Amino acid sequence: MTTPRYTRRRFLGTAAAGAATLSAPAILRRAHAQGGEVNVWTYANFVPDSFREQFEAETGIKVNIRLVDDQGKQFNLLAAETPNPTADIVTVAGHRFLQFIDSDLLAPLDTDRLTHWGNINPTFSESDWATINGNKWGAPILSGMEVLAYNTDVVSAEEARSWDVLFADKYAKQTAYIIQDMMSIIMLKLGYDGNMVAYLDDPAEAARIVEEAKQYLIDRKPLVRKYYDGGAEVQQMFINQDIVVGHAWNGPIATLINDGLPVDMTIPKEGSYGFVYTYNVTNNGPNADNAYTFLDAILASSEIGAMMTRASGFISTYKDAARHLTEIERKSTSFTDEELAGLRFFRAEANEMKYGLVDPAVEAIKAA
Amino acid sequence: MRDGGDASAGAEPPAGGATGWGKLVGFAPYQAFVALVCASPRRQFFLLAAFPAIWVLSQHLGPIVQMLYVSFTDAYPVTSGVEPRLTLENYRRFFDEAFYRVPFYRTLVFATTFTLATLVITYPVAYFLTRIVSRRNRLLMLLLLLIPFWVGEIVRTFAIMILLGNNGAVNLLLKWLGLIERPIPFMYTGFSISVGIIYLTALYMLLPLYSALEKLPRSYGEAAADLGAGPFTRFRRVTLPLTLEGIASGCILVFLISTGFYGTPVLLGGPSTTVFAETIAGFFHVAGDEWPTGAAFATIMFSTVLVLVLVFQRFMTSLRKGDTR
Repeated sequence: MTTPRYTRRRFLGTAAAGAATLSAPAILRRAHAQGGEVNVWTYANFVPDSFREQFEAETGIKVNIRLVDDQGKQFNLLAAETPNPTADIVTVAGHRFLQFIDSDLLAPLDTDRLTHWGNINPTFSESDWATINGNKWGAPILSGMEVLAYNTDVVSAEEARSWDVLFADKYAKQTAYIIQDMMSIIMLKLGYDGNMVAYLDDPAEAARIVEEAKQYLIDRKPLVRKYYDGGAEVQQMFINQDIVVGHAWNGPIATLINDGLPVDMTIPKEGSYGFVYTYNVTNNGPNADNAYTFLDAILASSEIGAMMTRASGFISTYKDAARHLTEIERKSTSFTDEELAGLRFFRAEANEMKYGLVDPAVEAIKAA
Repeated sequence: MRDGGDASAGAEPPAGGATGWGKLVGFAPYQAFVALVCASPRRQFFLLAAFPAIWVLSQHLGPIVQMLYVSFTDAYPVTSGVEPRLTLENYRRFFDEAFYRVPFYRTLVFATTFTLATLVITYPVAYFLTRIVSRRNRLLMLLLLLIPFWVGEIVRTFAIMILLGNNGAVNLLLKWLGLIERPIPFMYTGFSISVGIIYLTALYMLLPLYSALEKLPRSYGEAAADLGAGPFTRFRRVTLPLTLEGIASGCILVFLISTGFYGTPVLLGGPSTTVFAETIAGFFHVAGDEWPTGAAFATIMFSTVLVLVLVFQRFMTSLRKGDTR
């Protein structure tokens, strides 16, 4: 078993992070000391430590980070604090925008106040999901996808071309996945629209499809080792060799690859779903001006985007961020054209119907 | 007992009243307040009881009452401008869908099993501590047993993961001894949950047992031995009945804690060990109006556990009474 070690690659990664830190004063030169604080709710490693230190030193604004690990939990916490939230910035996945907007939890983003808005790749900043009701609601920062991850010492790249390997007898009790995410993937694998947008006018068909996907996973339940919830869990299972193949988000797996573990990931031929994390300004947050200062600073350069990728494993949405990554980091955050051809983005239009059906199905699978 | 006059007299400023305390006791409104609340023993009692009562009501009962209220609403957190309506729908879901009841029953079975297993494991330890270990070393031994509890539940759960993983200490030892060729998949099974929860709850069983056994005079056993009772009879007829109180306390504590564990089953459990706390948490994680259902399910578990504990306590009381007759 390979264990994380201090390798040449890691040295290069650290050196690159250091170089980015040294260049940060120039990045933040527009910021001026204004003091106060900004409260950011985000995932672990989404605000690089070195950026945070630089930002605080140069602006006098203290960055208070509250870690979140789930979009639903974040929604509930923010909703519970409405109309006077403690958060200034939250991290919402693009396909969850609607829910937050409908509940008046987010303020429309004034991109004119962000001098570095143009540093975001237009593929993300100008895509259809990014504009709702004529407004932008978030600054895209990182992009992720649902991938098939596998131990390269045990599972071949050829086997990993299909989601079927996750349910192969050969790897029985050596697999893991997040059930809720797998429901969308299984629907896609069975030839349906996992976003369920296609069935908005046909709830009966939607219910039938969810039932079919549910039954698929129940029938294969004896083969799975663990239903997990968070990235750290799947990392732990790969490190301990408790599993050899699993469904995962690309970020945690990229981190394992960068650490030198014999793990790789792919988007199987049946396809998969992607998502984009965005930083959003809350509605009636206590430090709105500081929130914009923070957003503008974090968007200031592609080096910061690369630092975020390095820390989280997710793919930066910044133009040219990959230029600042090491070879192994670039490899762990890129996919072939063939793989990307099967990638679809999660969409929000049918979320209410979809999760109204999927959530009870998830409980039924757990109980089966 | 002091009367009101004494209380007033007690509030006289001492010599050198320039200190903060001296200034306070010389302050007329303070003197009036002391005279008022100390005027009778009844008032003194209410003064003393007020703060603990406020603490218990606001910090312990308050959240439960709030959760009970949420369980009868149709939306929470409430979107501004929307008035929640009262409903029984959240409770109906539990009784309508069998898949919600499976983890509920599983949790009760798990908790009962873990409680019995913890009792069986820790009773000999408590007995050893109180009967075999010298009084001088007893504190040291207890301290050693307490050390793991200085760190939190999650850290200790991760320690179990390191121990039981495919590359964990147990599998490595078994491999080194030549007993296995491939690692035994201990993790993500009922076994790993059992090990985790028994480890985490052992102290809550051990301390009441230790207390009960320590209070039991050795002379009782010696008297029984003089009357011809063998070791097993002495244990069955003397030690066990006289430590029933400790057993009851330990069992109730471990059972209550076991039914509410969330982090440990999530980290150590497998696909077929989902417990009710995970089901409840699921409702609080999902964005939308699912908190009331989670609250209703939590209330169902809370009520069930309350009833079971009352029944158990009554049973243990009858056992104790039966023994003393």
